[in-house]
Amino acid sequence: MNATESRHVDARASGSRLYGLYVLALAVCLIGNLVMRQGAQGGWLPPAAQLLLGLVAAAPLIVAAFLFWRLLRRDLDEMLQRIVLEGLAFALVLYIPLAALYVNLRTAGAWTPRLDPPDILLTPALLVCVGIALAIRRYR
Amino acid sequence: MKNALPVLRAERGWSQADLAERLGVSRQTVNSLERGRYDPSLPLAFRIARTFDRRIEDIFDPEG
Repeated sequence: MNATESRHVDARASGSRLYGLYVLALAVCLIGNLVMRQGAQGGWLPPAAQLLLGLVAAAPLIVAAFLFWRLLRRDLDEMLQRIVLEGLAFALVLYIPLAALYVNLRTAGAWTPRLDPPDILLTPALLVCVGIALAIRRYR
Repeated sequence: MKNALPVLRAERGWSQADLAERLGVSRQTVNSLERGRYDPSLPLAFRIARTFDRRIEDIFDPEG
């Protein structure tokens, strides 16, 4: 067994760790967003600091995205790659029409739920989870 | 797709984890292959055939 093949054995553990990291990075981003909004409303956070906080809070997500890409390309075996990719595809094909519907209803003046930035960030993450769960169910 | 993986593996006394390690995939993938829930790529099918010293068509039945 060569080095490339041996990496696949621990793919599930790597995937679980990375998912935890992704959730943590998302939480940091959401907390940063919350602090920015509170700071802006309370007037105790100047615009430059809000900008800096927004950039810093999003940085862990960029690192997580890089690690996710590396895991997907190098560490997952072919079935786990398929499960993740189907989960991502599910989220994308569902998120776009949902977002379009929301925008159209809002433009038409119909009742729509008020969506804050955290809701907008969490929706695709939730859809990816659902998509991966459906793919796991299909293949196992 | 039906396949003879469980039989071939049992003949050798290997666990799913043993076979997974030999093939360089996860145990979950071996389980899905054996249950016919996942069809392998061509490179993985060749690795499986080499591992059991059989031809691909001796292991996998496309009509199944």
